[in-house]
Amino acid sequence: MSGLFALFQDLPTLLWSGLVSGCLYGLGALGLVMVFKSSRVVNFAHGNLAGLAAFLVYGFSSGVLLNLSWGSAVALSLGLTCLVGVLAYAVIAPLVFKSDLTSTIATLGIGLILQGTIQIVFGAEIVSLELPIPSFGFGVGGLRITAYDLTVLAVTILMIGSLFFVIERTKLGIAFRAVCSNPFASRVCGLNLRLVHLFSWVSGAVLGLVAALLIVPTTFLSSTTVASFMLTAFTAAVVGGFSSLPGAAVGGILVGVAMNLFSFYVSPEFMNTFLLGVIMLTLNFFPDGLLEKAVGGRV
Amino acid sequence: MAVSELVHPEGAIRSPARAVPDLRKWLAALVVAVLAVLPMLSGSFLLYSLSLCFANAIAVLSVSVLVRYGGEVSIGHSFFVALGAYTVAVMEKHLGLGLWISLPVALLMGFAAGLLFAVPSRRMSGIYLAVASMALALSLPELLIHMERWTGGFEGLYISRDLLPGVAKAGQRYYFALAALILVCLAMAHFRGSRQGMALLLARAHPRAAEAFGITRSWARISVFALSATLASLSGAVVAFASSTVSPNSFTLWSGIFYLVGSVVSLQGTSLLAALVGGGIITLVPQYLAGAGDYVPILYGSALLIVTLLANSGSGLRRLLPGKGA
Repeated sequence: MSGLFALFQDLPTLLWSGLVSGCLYGLGALGLVMVFKSSRVVNFAHGNLAGLAAFLVYGFSSGVLLNLSWGSAVALSLGLTCLVGVLAYAVIAPLVFKSDLTSTIATLGIGLILQGTIQIVFGAEIVSLELPIPSFGFGVGGLRITAYDLTVLAVTILMIGSLFFVIERTKLGIAFRAVCSNPFASRVCGLNLRLVHLFSWVSGAVLGLVAALLIVPTTFLSSTTVASFMLTAFTAAVVGGFSSLPGAAVGGILVGVAMNLFSFYVSPEFMNTFLLGVIMLTLNFFPDGLLEKAVGGRV
Repeated sequence: MAVSELVHPEGAIRSPARAVPDLRKWLAALVVAVLAVLPMLSGSFLLYSLSLCFANAIAVLSVSVLVRYGGEVSIGHSFFVALGAYTVAVMEKHLGLGLWISLPVALLMGFAAGLLFAVPSRRMSGIYLAVASMALALSLPELLIHMERWTGGFEGLYISRDLLPGVAKAGQRYYFALAALILVCLAMAHFRGSRQGMALLLARAHPRAAEAFGITRSWARISVFALSATLASLSGAVVAFASSTVSPNSFTLWSGIFYLVGSVVSLQGTSLLAALVGGGIITLVPQYLAGAGDYVPILYGSALLIVTLLANSGSGLRRLLPGKGA
């Protein structure tokens, strides 16, 4: 009995930290899903762009490129990242209406170019990038909650809240929803498809930047960690059904919690294999995502 | 005949451009002849990199088969290549068996793994397969490193047994790789005109018509993927034999992406020349540009973008590329 108790003693901590990292995976997945919903492109460059964004913040604030304060470094990187996102879309724009696969291959090309750029500018070194937040923490019933956790939750809620406000309440959001549900009809009605695509690409880039900035303090930043983060975001998107925005957010949290449980109770060394298993099982048994029945499909 | 007429997009190209395939046949024969006499003229390093070229050409071809017949993209074919390579290495190390036995086993393993992998996404659109294949490629190094008892961990394994005892090592590695590549290309040329090949093309071009013939989309997708995975694991067996060593470093997500780059650059061709171009680019570029290692991803990425953009530009730009014969 005490053995069983010991087994579950760590459960609240695991769930909590899974929730926190899951929020970030959810943000990553949201960017993928927004791009996929509106332009039917699976953006394999998403992770590389997010990685580049984090490296830019590092470069601008550490003196490698410039010596700015953290805030201005983030602002500058945000501008540059959005610019790269727009450029990336401009390059593959001729392919977007051809077929899903062609444009997907093209995003791989963009990802390779971004990856190479990171390697050339920043080398293969491993850097750490902290958030400028006070380090305090308090315990709630055996659970230790830190300033970092609260920051992540607050930022996630803020990002998702503003995203949903834009999509639900603004003209641009209505256009976005229209293009997602029927591109042809929206074009007939005079909507500018390219503009909506750009909106989703830029939002994806911003979400990627935010997720990367928040996740780097828990691990470290190197030109190779990007791929694992991207796989996690992809898994979250698949679990959420790949074309549902709430699904992506919830999928991120589910994947974050499941990964934490797996690495604690089974093995931390087979993370990617675990994600592979999650993807395969989800595709086989819940092809439209775990939330298909619960939420009532695409939202 | 009815089936072949329905396979409109690829099938229609064959008859009008009769003269061009003939020219290509001669060119291919010439290339084979040159490659066959090359060992008498050149040094062993060139032979070694050429054997790797041939092995990678088979891997590129396996991706091309997937794209061409299945309309699907995989960036995780490094998994199946590694499966073939490690099957050969592990069977020699732990069971003492040579290539004569381990090669067929490697092919079977590739086939079974391809089948297993393709089943969950059989009813989904191709993008899901691409995403799942990325997970496949990323999980591979973990598995190889942590199943150390079998795979030798980081260091990998060596392969030293000969295919034909008593024949010079460099020579038999080179000719084995060349023979494997030529056989695969001949088999693919035959497959293109066979009933099964037609059925798969039909299922891609006209899914409904294919259903009417009793070829379901899921069946077509699974069998194309299994075929492609078998070819990939053949390529792995050739890599293992030609380079006489396997290690996790040669099978990363990047290698999976590079196979796709090779396939796109060779316009998804399944002919000998196309495969050689694809295999050549992904083998020789990193070897000869070793000093500029960081520029390789940019180079490949740009190649991928340029070829995709050219191949899909509706107008005269497409004429810059050679015709897309099947």
